[in-house]
Amino acid sequence: MEPDFRGDADHHDGTSDATPGGYADSRRPGELVFTILMTLGSAALLWNAYGIAGFEALSSPGAIPMATAAVMLISSIVIFVKTIGLKKVEGETLTKDILPWIVLIMFALLVAFGIALKPLGFIPTAAIFLVLSMKLMARRSWPLTILIALGSLVMIWLIFRIVFTVLLPSGVVPEAEFIQMFRDLFSAGGDA
Amino acid sequence: MTALMDMLTIFTHPELLLLVGLGTFAGVYVGAIPGLSVTMAVSILISFTFSWDVLPAISLMIGIYMGGVYGGSRTAILLNIPGAPSAIATAMDGYPMAKRGEAGTAIGVTTVMSFFGGFIGIGVLALAAPLVSDFALKFQPRDYMLLAVLGILLVGSLSSGSLVKGIFSGALGIGIGAVGMDPLTFTERFTFDIPLLTQGISFIAVMIGMFGVSEALLQLHHIDLPAVRQKIDRIVPSFSTIKKHLPLSIQTSSIGVIIGALPGTGGDIAALMAYDHAKRVTKNPEREFGDGAIEGLVAPETANNAAVGGAFIPMMTLGIPGDAVTAIMIGALYIHGLNPGPMLMIDQPHMFWFIVGALITANFFMLLFGLTGIKLFTKIVEIPRAFLIPLIMLLSIVGAYAVNNSITDVYWMLGFGVFGYFMRHYGYPLGPVILGVILSRLLDDNWRRAIISEREDLGRFFGGLFSSPLSTVLFVAVVLIFVSQTPLWTKGKEMIFGRSNRSAS
Repeated sequence: MEPDFRGDADHHDGTSDATPGGYADSRRPGELVFTILMTLGSAALLWNAYGIAGFEALSSPGAIPMATAAVMLISSIVIFVKTIGLKKVEGETLTKDILPWIVLIMFALLVAFGIALKPLGFIPTAAIFLVLSMKLMARRSWPLTILIALGSLVMIWLIFRIVFTVLLPSGVVPEAEFIQMFRDLFSAGGDA
Repeated sequence: MTALMDMLTIFTHPELLLLVGLGTFAGVYVGAIPGLSVTMAVSILISFTFSWDVLPAISLMIGIYMGGVYGGSRTAILLNIPGAPSAIATAMDGYPMAKRGEAGTAIGVTTVMSFFGGFIGIGVLALAAPLVSDFALKFQPRDYMLLAVLGILLVGSLSSGSLVKGIFSGALGIGIGAVGMDPLTFTERFTFDIPLLTQGISFIAVMIGMFGVSEALLQLHHIDLPAVRQKIDRIVPSFSTIKKHLPLSIQTSSIGVIIGALPGTGGDIAALMAYDHAKRVTKNPEREFGDGAIEGLVAPETANNAAVGGAFIPMMTLGIPGDAVTAIMIGALYIHGLNPGPMLMIDQPHMFWFIVGALITANFFMLLFGLTGIKLFTKIVEIPRAFLIPLIMLLSIVGAYAVNNSITDVYWMLGFGVFGYFMRHYGYPLGPVILGVILSRLLDDNWRRAIISEREDLGRFFGGLFSSPLSTVLFVAVVLIFVSQTPLWTKGKEMIFGRSNRSAS
């Protein structure tokens, strides 16, 4: 492994964390578009930062934002110039290596999760999400998928609701009553 | 003496002891399971331990950190898949050993050496931090500003190939941190007149998005990766093996502490540097490096665990994170109302000694869990990703929601998740973004303080910069990092050394 550029470990062998996954000497599908978007975004930020206080004073609230936006713009232009001169990676396509259908579907599921979380409540939303995504990825039988999904959901719910006391939207499930019922059950058991 | 008592606090509270133990246990497995990273685990945990007291929350996180840095080595040895970036170097010699049927020895040596390195790191932390914080009281605002810039630049330049992308990421992080009301003048910044943005962007949402969801989305590319089994025999290494490698381990631990203590650089870089060092100093290895040399395991494993203690030095004394995980921990301390920096060491020294005590405890637990439970381990690591990824996503959503009970944070988190996903694909490091978000406020405040005390005069600012040796050193370091990435540097090096030898950072 080249120590200076261990970036692509991310893409091909499944290691994790914040190591980047680009290539040093070629550009990946969509990379140029991303770079252009970053450049445009930086320019917009710089314009916005200028609007905070202009060149009023070096200690103005806009000084650091303007400096950072300028750094972003300059570095993104440098990246753009470098990227445009690179050859495309051979054998990679946008739909296969950057945005395969599974990523798109999972992202759609995540957004749906966010939308449904409040009205529907955590438990039903999470159950549907887990069953659907596990079925989609593991392609095992329905009973097994549902068993694993619901089993892990119960574990997660117990850990986070009881141990970490995280408040989650209860939605349509009468969660508080349910917990109270449990408490009553236990206290009744304790009295006896 | 009070320091010792504070250090022992943890032993007088069984629940804290239990939490460190649990954290370490969880950390070993989180670090070992490819697709779960320590940074991810700590990011998600912050939001869950939000309502806890600070001591239990910190105990749990320290356990996970310590265990996770070690845990990555397991899969590196057994499967040639580093479970965490700090174990990348471990795979180079660990996997060849496993293929030879010496997986047990490899794991044993790794565990003991991690333990050893961990102790050296903690020892240096305990000795150096009080000194550094005394020294840090003399720091001028401009020194803090320069340190923050240095940290972001270091993580950008050392953790990946392209410095420009690192700089872009760091600046982006500072920008994200600046969104919302300016705390000094109540001017709106980067809000685009959207009321939602005046509150700023929750850094936990950024963090979980970038390290949780983007990672999970990326892992979708590898759902079909098969699990490999390895036979494991005797684990506890012989005393002679350990004694033989003691000199090397002291050297590589020192490398680890120093690299860890530099703002912005953590265990992964320390491990690679130490590996490189071991390669140079080991004259007659029993086996060639890359072919299963024990030295090739000793070096990175001592260094990455020593770097844990090292990374806590700038975090506790200056409030500047040593790596991505400590950046997140600083966030956690903020949330719990503590303000890491020299004043913390003076006002609440017990907090510092408690953390040292927790680190020591975590180190012992690591040794314990490292030398036991191999059977369970091989089972857990084989959890198919198809089941793991949906759970990570679920936890990310719950985590982002839990801090403020806000759906908006969930959307921010998803947004940054997708953004981080593309950044990963196109080679932008994510570490600098988090460092930037955390350091944004510190950078902004100190820049303004510095320039106001120089009466808004840039000339006087630079004059002051060169009148203090510390500021000069920091400034030169920042400039050097820039120059080292330009063709000028390579040319200069060729002229001095006669040939170009690339450094192994």
